[in-house]
Amino acid sequence: MARYLTHRLLLMIPTLLVVAVIIFVLVRVIPGDIVELRLVSGGSFVTASVIEAERARLGLNKPIWRQFVDWMSGLPRFDLGTSMWTAAPIAKEIALRFQLSLQLAIMSTLIAVTLALPLGIAAAVRRGTWVDHVVQILSVAGLATPSFWLGILLLLFLLSNFHWLPPLTFTPLWVNPKANLLQLIWPALAVGYRYSAVTTRMTRSAMLEVLQEDYVRTAWAKGLAQRVIVIRHALRNAMLPVVTVIGLEFAFLIGGLVVTEQVFNLNGIGKLFVDAIARRDYTMIQGLLLLVATVYIVVNFLIELLYVWLDPRVSYG
Amino acid sequence: MHGSHAPGRRPELRIVAVLVTGLLLWLLSAPLGAQQPRTGGTLTFIVSAEPPSFDAHREVTFALIHPARPHYNLLVKFDPLNYPKVVPDLAESWTISPDGTTYTFKIRRGVRFHDGSVLTSRDIKASYDKIIFPKGDVISVRQGAYTMVAAVEAPDPTTVLFRLKWKSPSFLQDVASPWNWIYKADIIEKDPHWYERNIMGTGPFKFVEYVRGSHWVGVRNEDYWVKGRPYLDGYRAVFIGNAAAQVNAIKSGQALVEFRGFSPPQRDDVVRTLGSGATVQESGWLCNNTVVFNSRHRPFDDARFRKALSLAIDRWGGSTALSQIAFVGPVGGLLRPEGPFATPPAELEKLAGYGRDIAAARAEAKKLLAEAGVPEGFEFNLLNRNVEMPYRYVAVFLIDQWRQIGLKVNHVVKETGPYLADERAGNFDAAVDFNCDFYDDPDLQLVKFLSVELPNGSVNGLNYGGYIDRTLDRLYDEQSRTEDATRRIAVVRQFEKRLLDEKVWQIYVLWWKRIIPHSTKLHGYKVGPSHYLEDLQDVWISE
Amino acid sequence: MPRVYRRQRIWLARFVRRYPLGAAAGIAILGLTALAGLANQLAPYDPLANDFGTMFAAPGARHWFGTDAFGRDVLSRVLYGARTALLVGFAASLVGATIGGIVGVAAAYFGGTTDLIIQRLADIMISFPIIILALAIVAILGSGTFNLIAAIALSFVPRIELVVRASALSVRETTYVEAARAIGARHWRIVFRHMVPNVTAPYLVMLTAFLGQAILLEASLSFLGLGVNEPTPAWGLMLSGAAVEFVQRAPWMAVFPGLAITFTVLAFNVLGDSLRDALDPRLRT
Repeated sequence: MARYLTHRLLLMIPTLLVVAVIIFVLVRVIPGDIVELRLVSGGSFVTASVIEAERARLGLNKPIWRQFVDWMSGLPRFDLGTSMWTAAPIAKEIALRFQLSLQLAIMSTLIAVTLALPLGIAAAVRRGTWVDHVVQILSVAGLATPSFWLGILLLLFLLSNFHWLPPLTFTPLWVNPKANLLQLIWPALAVGYRYSAVTTRMTRSAMLEVLQEDYVRTAWAKGLAQRVIVIRHALRNAMLPVVTVIGLEFAFLIGGLVVTEQVFNLNGIGKLFVDAIARRDYTMIQGLLLLVATVYIVVNFLIELLYVWLDPRVSYG
Repeated sequence: MHGSHAPGRRPELRIVAVLVTGLLLWLLSAPLGAQQPRTGGTLTFIVSAEPPSFDAHREVTFALIHPARPHYNLLVKFDPLNYPKVVPDLAESWTISPDGTTYTFKIRRGVRFHDGSVLTSRDIKASYDKIIFPKGDVISVRQGAYTMVAAVEAPDPTTVLFRLKWKSPSFLQDVASPWNWIYKADIIEKDPHWYERNIMGTGPFKFVEYVRGSHWVGVRNEDYWVKGRPYLDGYRAVFIGNAAAQVNAIKSGQALVEFRGFSPPQRDDVVRTLGSGATVQESGWLCNNTVVFNSRHRPFDDARFRKALSLAIDRWGGSTALSQIAFVGPVGGLLRPEGPFATPPAELEKLAGYGRDIAAARAEAKKLLAEAGVPEGFEFNLLNRNVEMPYRYVAVFLIDQWRQIGLKVNHVVKETGPYLADERAGNFDAAVDFNCDFYDDPDLQLVKFLSVELPNGSVNGLNYGGYIDRTLDRLYDEQSRTEDATRRIAVVRQFEKRLLDEKVWQIYVLWWKRIIPHSTKLHGYKVGPSHYLEDLQDVWISE
Repeated sequence: MPRVYRRQRIWLARFVRRYPLGAAAGIAILGLTALAGLANQLAPYDPLANDFGTMFAAPGARHWFGTDAFGRDVLSRVLYGARTALLVGFAASLVGATIGGIVGVAAAYFGGTTDLIIQRLADIMISFPIIILALAIVAILGSGTFNLIAAIALSFVPRIELVVRASALSVRETTYVEAARAIGARHWRIVFRHMVPNVTAPYLVMLTAFLGQAILLEASLSFLGLGVNEPTPAWGLMLSGAAVEFVQRAPWMAVFPGLAITFTVLAFNVLGDSLRDALDPRLRT
């Protein structure tokens, strides 16, 4: 089994390479000219020769295959190239914002899991009662509300009642934990609520499935002590799909929080994405897509590891 | 009694002493009209976009001026409290030769760059050579504004000479352009692209850090050549793109001001929250929205159709309404309505689309549509930029106005890049366009209306409509070389009449209005008609 | 033929009895569709007509939902907005689900290299958040209603493909299909007679699941300025810009479109849940 896992770990590398190729192709399909955007967006006029010179400087006049080779050759060194907009190294630009996005993702996941697991289990165990109905309504409502709307309302609430707003700029957790948490707790709540809705539903249904198994029903009939032991086992089995959902949603949180970041004015990966697409910053878009794909692949791998730990019956011979 | 002079013994003297003391105390304690500037504190302000590079010679966005201008000086500059007066900056005085073709500037002594080296005329010549005669792959976006300059010379360390090919009445103001930052000659010689990613100037603030997506920090230059300035210990420019977040930042006191302009509801929001803690400064703005018609597409090649489109717009009514929700407002022609070249309202109303009787104007518009053979319900595209303020508002307004003469307009919104590409390629029917300048000057504001191909063969890349109008070209040249102010204005009026009333190649919708609500803690700042002229040297904040 | 109809009717009656909430949601959606279809007759004002005399009017007798920054009637805009929402929602989900379904069945049926390539592509596309995919597609195609539908539909395709493929795969190895192959039946016959009925259930379920998501996605993209353009009435568009700026002065500008979105997405979600429970216990969540 260790062999299988190592095999999977090593498989990530060629997968990422294939992903990189596909990303490059997809991104270059996007029309638009970053040079024109840079030089002419203020309304003034620039001659064609100036634009050509700038294009040459950015390497845009090299044949496509050459640009591709340049990009691919930089990947093993974690050199994602330089942004076409700011000429700063992309890896550095992303690292700046990755901190914030990662922390926000972790905080939202913690909030979501803290809410979802107990609620989902309670709803499943007390199926059909008012507890179940309330939890179902809350989670369905959570899925239906636009997330940015929650954010706007939250900020309005803070401002109207406390005349206070979260800090504008990001300070890392180890530099100033208070400022850091004061800024990120609010978007984490807004995101976490929606996230918990998805997870609650999955927890509830997974628990329901497992609770219907024969061995569980038998243990239920036999009495309290048996119930406790079996519930713990049932829980472990139910966790497989739940963990999958949590993992997939977490991967989405890196880079997917485009609108939330706008509302809370967070300097995160989502904002970088939107700006890069608007500016046709090809290298930046490539770098970001690669980052997101990597996170996804890594998370998937971690989920498989978790599977093994959760359910000893699962083995990959 | 008369012999003794002890004050305590003379009741009259005692009374006078008390009165004088009281007067002195009252004078000293009374709140003076102008407070004494306080030295100290860090100004936090908002910038709504980020600079693509750090070189003002190649950038066109306020997003560079606001955070980075404080690190540099100009040769001469516009007085921040007294636009459009030109005052000394690095040049302490200047003379103009009698024939107007030689400008001699005397450069200050003792000015140092932030790395300690001394500024001489060589640095100024190098900077202006980079702007006017860029070499190799160096880009200077304002090159075209200095075609009258033959050469820049630095005969001695404290003198800079500009030799012009012909007399240019607004040359001094051209030099005062807020984009002409003075760089270090040594650096330009070694690497002309260095300034795109680095900062080295002589300005009142030294560069500390720039965290992309977050903030830009500057700190006081202790060796600044203006004694006692800057008042601020430093400044912090915070980048916030979202309009609501910008307002929230000022409402919560985390930022004191935003230097571009807020919309009326944003202003009201700030005032409502901060109450007496907020000041609002408003002024005209050297920015406007226009509509360009693509004269290559039918029926936009018919002047009657274009005129009908202009007549249909209720500019006066729209101004009243839109000025409540967006930062547009003043109705004007080719030049800023509050500026020195403004057309008086009585004359303005005679131009097509500027009349007060909108019903009559629309009736005439429908008549012209019929004459031009444009059917009821005719559809065309309106190209626009994907920016909320004020483009979206202007478009909704225009589409509704044209709906009222029976035309159906499709709103095509694109990101700035593809929008510009479409404009330059002529891939549109009508397009919402904009102009922003730093100075009221027909030379600057009228240049984009010239024919797409000029008599001397050069191409006017700003003419997206693709038309040729030799009358306009002739009138432009005439006004550019006319010295007599009255005569010049008369020629500009002719240009305006031809463009807006007879041919209607392009139309003006509305000019913008600059609204800056800020905390009362900010002092020494006066709003001007251009958001490119912001200057932090003399600004200070109270406790 | 009559026997088929009767079977569906019996199924419907049973569905309504077992899942009253789902049935209620279904009726709500029908009602919404009716409102959208009859918007021409029902809307009191032209949704595009600016009226600078009555800007920011509070809800009252003349304007039930108030007016917005241009004096446009909010009720009329919400009604016409239902059209855009349902059009975008249905079209995007239908197109996306159908393309995803076809690709999924093809991948399952043909197997081998085809399947492998499709799977790799789908895996990679799934790793990108839907909003990023939609953003990128809008960047390529430009904004506007039609392009928005394409962008949202294409973003859904990989996820639907995955689910449909799984269902189709389970059928491929059954005796029915083996027998059919042994007889020498043509490909399309096998696909249509055996695979398609089996994937109908997950197809319908994914369709309803994505209906709600499509509407939310439209709202998000319009909020970013990349969706439907002014002055077209669309709920997401109505929530952005002026609505947020004036939220303290004229909250009704944002409240009513926001409620409309939440209500509609809720209905679609509830219906989707009930359908899933009813059609295929294996997919129950």
